[in-house]
Amino acid sequence: MERRQFLGRAVAGGLALGGAAALPQPAAAQGQSSNLPPGTTPSAYSVPRAPGSALLTPDYHTYADNLVIERNQPGKPHRGKVLAAFQAHSDDITLFCSGTVAKLIDEGYTGYLIRVSNDEKAGRTVGSGVVQNEIDNQEAAKALGCKPFSFYYRNHRMDDCAIIEIRQRLIFLLRLLQVDTVFVMDPYDHYDENPDHLVVGKAVETACWMATPGGGREYPEQLKAGLKPGRVREKYYHSRAPEGHNLVNRVVDISSYIDVKVRANVANKGKGPAGDSGARLRQELARQGKRLPLLGNDDDTANFQYTKHFLMEDFRTLGRRFGVEYAETFRYIGPEPDYLPSIRKYVDDHAVGM
Amino acid sequence: MDPHNSLINPTLDGEAFESAAAPQADAGEVVIVKDQQGQPHQGKVFAAIHAHLDDIPYYASGLCAKLMREGYTGYIIRTSNDERSGGHSTAENILSNEQDHSRMAAALGFKDVFDLYYQNHDMNGISCIDLRGRLILIFRMLKVDTIISFNPWGQGEENPDHWVTGRAVEEACWMAGMPNDFHEHLLAGIQPHAATERYYFYARPGQPFNRVVDIGAHIETKIDAVVECKSQGDGNRGSLVRAQLARQGKRLPLLGDDDRSADRAYVRQFLLDNDREYGKPHNLQYAERFYYIDRRGPSKSKADEYIENNAVRL
Repeated sequence: MERRQFLGRAVAGGLALGGAAALPQPAAAQGQSSNLPPGTTPSAYSVPRAPGSALLTPDYHTYADNLVIERNQPGKPHRGKVLAAFQAHSDDITLFCSGTVAKLIDEGYTGYLIRVSNDEKAGRTVGSGVVQNEIDNQEAAKALGCKPFSFYYRNHRMDDCAIIEIRQRLIFLLRLLQVDTVFVMDPYDHYDENPDHLVVGKAVETACWMATPGGGREYPEQLKAGLKPGRVREKYYHSRAPEGHNLVNRVVDISSYIDVKVRANVANKGKGPAGDSGARLRQELARQGKRLPLLGNDDDTANFQYTKHFLMEDFRTLGRRFGVEYAETFRYIGPEPDYLPSIRKYVDDHAVGM
Repeated sequence: MDPHNSLINPTLDGEAFESAAAPQADAGEVVIVKDQQGQPHQGKVFAAIHAHLDDIPYYASGLCAKLMREGYTGYIIRTSNDERSGGHSTAENILSNEQDHSRMAAALGFKDVFDLYYQNHDMNGISCIDLRGRLILIFRMLKVDTIISFNPWGQGEENPDHWVTGRAVEEACWMAGMPNDFHEHLLAGIQPHAATERYYFYARPGQPFNRVVDIGAHIETKIDAVVECKSQGDGNRGSLVRAQLARQGKRLPLLGDDDRSADRAYVRQFLLDNDREYGKPHNLQYAERFYYIDRRGPSKSKADEYIENNAVRL
């Protein structure tokens, strides 16, 4: 009930942010075939893909009826606030939500990019993969304007970790950094095959509330060490392509930040579809005596153009659906409503003399 | 069995009891540790880590009192929630042990108390790395030099809370000095700090010991600590016996005229036999046994010394 009340307010907030959402049309209305019987209301919407899609958006979205399009805000309305973008792997945040992270940092947030695994499964050898991905996390953070941090749990084996120990360390960080807002893979990301994603999502979700004053009896030694109770109030859960089946109640217009997103992805040399892919394609064509004008005349340009033209297409397609150039989608969870003032007001209005 | 129901032949079902009559394990030369003059340990910090309310009071409260008298600052950490001891409901046991622990720590003079509340008797089911992480934070932030705890390798240890605690302490001691373990602590300005001296309890028959600590001058403080162990450890046995006898129209002169005196007298008369036994071979009135490990390195390494003595100008 409280959640519904909050969402009701969020609609008004969304209108203030960017106007009414352009609700997506069912598959049939977009020219796609559907055998949905007449009179049946779809409960999930397939996400359209570009022909050259890198499968970076989920297969399906379920849209909340109070969906909000979050647009750019002038000035620095978030000055003094802190966001932590948690990712299992060096390319998770960059691929799926770095546009929104960049937007919020530009609007005043201080940001931290926190990688939880050691990414050892992406590299020529385990050692070289770990080192390259550590560098990538630092470089991606730099591209986004964040400070980097890594935990180094073993890649693809995080379901073998004690989630309570991960949570302990996350609570420490949330308290230390006084994080207001988190980004993380949706812990309810259906059909996600990667255990690291689910473990990190769940650990972050549980850590957020346990770090708060309400969870003051969680790890009290951290408070004795001088840390203050945590204060996370907003969560942006992002989905993972391509198997996802995600509830979306927030679409963020990242059009102004698409180049930052591209640069963050180019920084990922150790894994992910971007990195040096443009340069490698350019070199391959050169060996064949060809060139692609799109890729320009140097490797940096090739990497940027390749990533923007091919890999951002899914976010362009998604944006088009909502009337913006590029978009990212989230299940957004905002501040819990404070019910006590309502009770106090009732008492003040109705209390009578003895 | 609830010890409060058996007054004449109490079953000491607290977590700390064991027999003194045991073969001695070969642990090298046994050193008799006597009181030192002044405050030679000024500036140093120790942490006494136990699983249950009555572990430190019985195994090591004499040593704790001695070290604090000699300048150490002491902290006490209880890892379990003690829910299985107290003779009442599980919830009431947790509360009464919590309150007893606080009073017992105050009686010994500890600067602060940490209660971690892992589930009593079930600690071999917890995440050891979670416990270790918490101990590392505490050791680092308090800059713990010395720990007093269970011997993780001690034989005959039936209680899983004891060996899980001992093992986590041993691991945390050296990892607390490694900057890449729980490196987020460094972000908070909490620096690596290894605990290099260890006193492991002599907790069960046959466990090794190489230190016999003369606690004669601290026995009153030890009694002060033990009498606070009411939920377990028979700290209030004297007053219970006194009350029972009064209901039968009797009294025991040993127990004096009030509950406090009764508890203290009972502890002194009946519950410190081990300490007396441990002292006897060394002509000490009371003693505690420990397996002591010193991991302090030399102030100068062999390599540094060689370089200092042999380096020549280019």
